[in-house]
Amino acid sequence: MNVFLEIKNIKKHFGEGESRVEVLKGIDIEIEKGEFCVLLGPSGSGKSTLLNIIGGIDAADEGYISINGEKTADMNEKALTLYRRKHLGYIFQMYNLIPNLNIKENIEVGAYLSDNPLDVDDLLKTLGLYEHRHKLPNQLSGGQQQRTAIGRAIVKNPDILLCDEPTGALDYNTSKEILQLIEDVNKKYGNTIIMVTHNDAIKQMADRVVKLRDGMIRKNYLNETKLTAEELDW
Amino acid sequence: MKNPLIKRLPRELKGEIGKYIVLFLFITMMIGIVSGFLVAAGSMSVAYDESFEKYNIESGNFELLQKADDDAIKKIEDGEEKIKVYENFYLDKETKEVDSTIRLFKNRKDIDKICIMDGELPSADDEIAIDRMYADNNKLKVGDSLTVGGKKLKITGLVALSDYSALYSNPSDMMFDALKFGVAIVTDTLFDDYGEADLHYSYSWKYDKTPADDEEAQDMAEKVMKHINGISMLTQFIPEYSNQAIHFTGDDIKGDNTMITVFLYLVMVIIAFVFAITTGNTIAKEANVIGTLRASGYTKGELVRHYLATPMIVVLVSAIVGNILGYTCFKEFAVKAYYGSYSLPTYKTIWNADAFIKTTVVPLIILFVINLVMLVNKLSLSPLKFLRRDLKKRQKKKAFKLNTRIGILKRFRLRVIFQNIPNYITVFVGILFANVIIFFGLGMKPMLLHYQDIIEDNMISKYQYVLKMPAETKTEGVEKYCSGSLKTVDDKLKEETATIYGVKENSKFVHADIKDGGAFISDGYAQKYNIEVGDEVTLKESYGDKKYNFKVEGIYDDPATIAVYLTDSDFIKTFELEDGYFNGYFSNTKIKDIDDLYIATTITKDDLTKTSRQLILSMGSMISMFATAGVIMFMLIVYLLSKVIIEKNSQSISMTKILGYNNREINSLYITTTTIVVIASMLLTVPIVNVTLKYIFKVAFAQYSGWMPYYVPAKIFVEVPLLGIVSYAVIAFILTRRVKKVPLDEALKNVE
Repeated sequence: MNVFLEIKNIKKHFGEGESRVEVLKGIDIEIEKGEFCVLLGPSGSGKSTLLNIIGGIDAADEGYISINGEKTADMNEKALTLYRRKHLGYIFQMYNLIPNLNIKENIEVGAYLSDNPLDVDDLLKTLGLYEHRHKLPNQLSGGQQQRTAIGRAIVKNPDILLCDEPTGALDYNTSKEILQLIEDVNKKYGNTIIMVTHNDAIKQMADRVVKLRDGMIRKNYLNETKLTAEELDW
Repeated sequence: MKNPLIKRLPRELKGEIGKYIVLFLFITMMIGIVSGFLVAAGSMSVAYDESFEKYNIESGNFELLQKADDDAIKKIEDGEEKIKVYENFYLDKETKEVDSTIRLFKNRKDIDKICIMDGELPSADDEIAIDRMYADNNKLKVGDSLTVGGKKLKITGLVALSDYSALYSNPSDMMFDALKFGVAIVTDTLFDDYGEADLHYSYSWKYDKTPADDEEAQDMAEKVMKHINGISMLTQFIPEYSNQAIHFTGDDIKGDNTMITVFLYLVMVIIAFVFAITTGNTIAKEANVIGTLRASGYTKGELVRHYLATPMIVVLVSAIVGNILGYTCFKEFAVKAYYGSYSLPTYKTIWNADAFIKTTVVPLIILFVINLVMLVNKLSLSPLKFLRRDLKKRQKKKAFKLNTRIGILKRFRLRVIFQNIPNYITVFVGILFANVIIFFGLGMKPMLLHYQDIIEDNMISKYQYVLKMPAETKTEGVEKYCSGSLKTVDDKLKEETATIYGVKENSKFVHADIKDGGAFISDGYAQKYNIEVGDEVTLKESYGDKKYNFKVEGIYDDPATIAVYLTDSDFIKTFELEDGYFNGYFSNTKIKDIDDLYIATTITKDDLTKTSRQLILSMGSMISMFATAGVIMFMLIVYLLSKVIIEKNSQSISMTKILGYNNREINSLYITTTTIVVIASMLLTVPIVNVTLKYIFKVAFAQYSGWMPYYVPAKIFVEVPLLGIVSYAVIAFILTRRVKKVPLDEALKNVE
């Protein structure tokens, strides 16, 4: 196995004394380049915390994250920012678009961070947003806004795309559209994708499924019967 | 690739166009006024400095009791310090068309030369060229007639006398008088025709070797003074460095320069805090976007630069426009103000790098530093904290406890106050500063008028005659007195003249129980020098080194003068004069039976009120400008910061609407809190401002001769808060409209 992202013995707690909660109790995962990994689990299982640690926006108490041999634990704030700039793209449940920039400009905000970004107009066409490129975020539907957020994340062609409940705020059809888009991106650009979700059905489109509960991995397996986003149903 | 966030800037400006226009206009006006002032002051200062050489301004002047003959002059010139002496005799004459005194000189060709501002010098014996500022203030122009000392003269020119840039009739006056005192040039023949009754034997001198600095000038002047004293009887000796008529203008221009610059800096500090708080509010609103950008790899520096850009652009553009306005429009106001106060020669506008630095570079630095500190502090939170909208640096362990017996609405209001403490502190500081300006604007004129009143109330007599030599009168009700002058000796304050009176025991005019062996001092003297009964005051001879000590037995109620009161017998003893000596009369009626030849000066109400008169004249337009600037500043700060509070709480406001609160109830939660803070600030700042201004006045007036007591009429203590409350009512009205506009769905936005 050619390990691209190594998650080694990650532990994390919140609070102190009586209110201390062990959120992650030693997580080990190895992910290959281009793999689509889904992190599943109920609320409080620690999946978003793990995603944030992978994303370098939260720090682990113990253990390390290594991307291509670069360990995030050894990095200071400046290096972590550079790490995120170079390797990561983020998609959140709330789209967090900049309200006074139009759709194209919101994507350019991501492109600016890369030395070798994707062509913004091509990407807008891929995302089905080309006709809306001059509109402001509040003029678009939730699905279109999330597509813009995806565009902003992938335009810099990141090694890893971190998705935190990307369909959490969307209806069934729009959710499927977004999942299809993420699938297309994964295929077209070969990014490693780590997606946190509540939705159990989504695991069917993943290469790897990691189930978390109470801060521990309950299951970590490769999905042999992968479905396309189109085929998903819930 | 250019940072696409740059594209937000014009939209951000457009999005809050109202706020930025108001700030832009206010900063532009402030910078424009200050820039205009500094450019005018700088250009005037250059013209003033150059005038010393251009018009060959004297090294000093002295007055003798009698005309010195050629031998005496030769002797004076050949002292240890080699000097060249020039006759510069003058006559003080009353004018008829305007109530004033005019000082006449012959044309000066060698020293203290004249700058002709309009028309020409007189060539006929019924012509006169008068000081340009005196003419302006009394609405006289070339071609008009003016009766001077009973002779009707035609004004042929308006001039500036280089040794009278500030029209001080007497070097010991607290303030010059550009309304009731002027200088003028007449032909030699006309001058001689006036006779010797009011003739002052004044001589100007110029050193052969120019002193290197003030210290050397002082040493040289002392040698000259001692030398002249040994030859002839000096009645006045004024070296150039201590001649207020020459120096006050330059000192005042430089002093104004400092005052107005400090004023701008203080305004900029407050504006910088307003920007910091409103930007802080924007950061709070955009927390999730910032979190996303930071999570995507945007550095803290990139975001700091982004949020710093808008305030910097607004201030930079304001500074540029302000400077353009300063050089074009506002400069003229300052020039007008200076020409209305000083008799300055013609000037040329000079590019002023110092003004540019003070009005552009320094304000930008102030804004940059304050906002940078705030932004670095705010943006130092982790991306995760931004994503969670958790913008507190330290997590509060528990909510601030409030007594549950306090009603829920009151508790709610208290929570709003605690939540917005930084805003309210800035509101308090802003109101404090605005009130200083408003207080000054509203209080200055009443203070000057009060000063006039107390002078009038405390005048020893309606007419106070100072005689050149003893002369008797048959006028009834007069009282003889002795007077002289000594110089103050104080380490901190500059030397000034104190009048020493010798009055009769149980005087009808000086109502003080002065006994032999004890001295009273004026209230003004006591206040200025912090002297109390029982202290000893030391004064020294004006033209010598001999010192005199007086034990203070009482304070005489005269707050406007620096004076010591002795009994006439003590006066005679102290100054070793002959028994029965006197040199003046107190009288409430005009003395008509003493020849003018014997009278050195007649002091009337007009002479004593010249300070307040001149200050009202010089500062009249500025006083109202200050009050207006203060009100605008007050409204700007209170509005912008209370708007931030509404914006910050828009989700809570929306939620309370959803819960069923009506607008009146919501206003009582969010606007009443600001109202409480504003009213409390208004009431609290007024006494603080009063104490601060009292201190500032004491320090400021300590630099002048004489004393002006600080006084604020009671109505100002009501007017200032009232003005604030009325201004705030307008703001509160706008705020209620904003609260009304908060949509119901606001509560549902961006809630994770």
